[in-house]
Amino acid sequence: MKGFAPLFKKEIREQLKLYRLVIVLGVFLLFGLTSPLTLKYLPEIMKLAGDQGMSIQLPIPTAAQSLASYAGDIGQIGALVAVLIAMGCIANELKSGTAIMTLSKPVSRGAFVSAKLLAVSLTFLVSMVIASLVCFGYTVWLIQGAAVWPFVRLNLLLALFLIFCLAVTMLFSSLYKSSLAAGGLALSVIVSQGIISAIPIVGKYMPGKLLDWGTNLLTGSDKTYWWAFGITIIAIGACVYFSQRFLKNRDL
Amino acid sequence: MTAIRTQGLSKYYGTVKALDNLNLEVPENAVFGFLGPNGAGKTTTVKLLTGFAHPTAGEAWVAGGKVGEVNLALQSKIGLLPDVPAFYDWMSGREFLHFVGELHGLEQNEIKKRTEELLELVELKKAGNRRTGGYSRGMRQRLGIAQALINRPKVLFLDEPTSALDPLGHREVLNLVLRLRENTTIFMSSHNLSDIERVCDMVGIVNKGQLITVSTVEALQKKYARSIFELEFMEDATPFVESLKNIPWLAEPAIITGNGAPMVRLRAVDIDRARKELPRIISESGLTLTRYELTLPSIEDIFVEIMTSGDKQ
Repeated sequence: MKGFAPLFKKEIREQLKLYRLVIVLGVFLLFGLTSPLTLKYLPEIMKLAGDQGMSIQLPIPTAAQSLASYAGDIGQIGALVAVLIAMGCIANELKSGTAIMTLSKPVSRGAFVSAKLLAVSLTFLVSMVIASLVCFGYTVWLIQGAAVWPFVRLNLLLALFLIFCLAVTMLFSSLYKSSLAAGGLALSVIVSQGIISAIPIVGKYMPGKLLDWGTNLLTGSDKTYWWAFGITIIAIGACVYFSQRFLKNRDL
Repeated sequence: MTAIRTQGLSKYYGTVKALDNLNLEVPENAVFGFLGPNGAGKTTTVKLLTGFAHPTAGEAWVAGGKVGEVNLALQSKIGLLPDVPAFYDWMSGREFLHFVGELHGLEQNEIKKRTEELLELVELKKAGNRRTGGYSRGMRQRLGIAQALINRPKVLFLDEPTSALDPLGHREVLNLVLRLRENTTIFMSSHNLSDIERVCDMVGIVNKGQLITVSTVEALQKKYARSIFELEFMEDATPFVESLKNIPWLAEPAIITGNGAPMVRLRAVDIDRARKELPRIISESGLTLTRYELTLPSIEDIFVEIMTSGDKQ
């Protein structure tokens, strides 16, 4: 991992200079704010819309609903944002030639890839922490009755899933000089595993099950998906390994 | 000592032979010019020698280390200026050099010192705090050279180092190469013939992936010497040129009218005899001689001759 420290420092600066942190935080904050607000004020908005001869009975909003709605949005839109942010991470450097400038120095490919993954993961983690604090605060303020620890554990599972999305995207980004190709393939892998996760027997091994686990925590269900948890961690490690192998074996 | 050695180095892309069986030895502290037209295999060779392309066959050694799968020890001994140097646009030139110094594991004090030295050397001190995204092509080329030098490399690879430079920048880069030759072996690829002639001790000519010839610049000039004499007179030399046509050891005498004064150009079939007897014949002609020169071919002349004849050593 020679050269990791300067590469990581550069990647962190890049997250700020290229407004990646601002973009991810902005998107996550939007969901953090709108989930409790929508749930709380939707009945009143519908009342203001007037009686159009129909009567719609909305259930009284609960804190679990608000937090689950936030988690659902982050799980889906967050995955898309992860693909968009990470798809050019390596591909753009290969295309522009900055990868050659950096890798002609005594730095390992492993350090090059892992510094990128760690930095962009930190961007997502920081954004998630802030957005989840806002979401939790609004939920407690507007709806009340939110439990802290299930929500914290839900966020950790969400974060792991998003890091998986980033790692998969980065793997394809090291394979192709086109960031669009990398993003498209990563998205198809993420969507495919999401579909498979709904299939009995094999579904429990898919990283997408982490999102179900998180929702279970909010509803008080004991159902866990440890296989999915372990496989996600292994998949992240495998993505980093193969990404640096691809960079070693390919002509730049 | 040999700084660069290759043995049967080849790179094929399908049926296209980008480089075929390159056998080359470059001595330490030489400035080696790798000359060839576009698409000849110059950049492929640089990429193979710096480990950024994998050879189809053959081996290479640079600065005593074998070029192979990511050799970090070797990378700390080399410097590379790619054909199109690229930078992180959001970084300033100074920040980029600092970053490169850190990648080489230099101490912070050393990095600061080297950064300022190199910015001075490539005349980017004033623009050092500007973002590289706003640099001109020439400035990017000069910053590219600076970053390749930060670790005081034993072997420096310059791929088309003057390609994007204006005449002044062009001259500065060549002067820089001349200054660096004392401590560094320089492998410089170019299709600019005058650059190679000006700074290189040795030259290799490559075409269609094959090394055509490798030699010192002087030896190449001697080998391809065409024994051309150029003479200038104060008077009209037409009758004199007519008289030369009857001499069997001279050929193609003609009056050339270029931008300057008319001159007589002729080729010696027997160079030794021409050297001895031509001054006497001129003296007997009664003309007033103002210039007498036995010209050596330029690298450009040799290059064109090799490319057109397909000569292979």
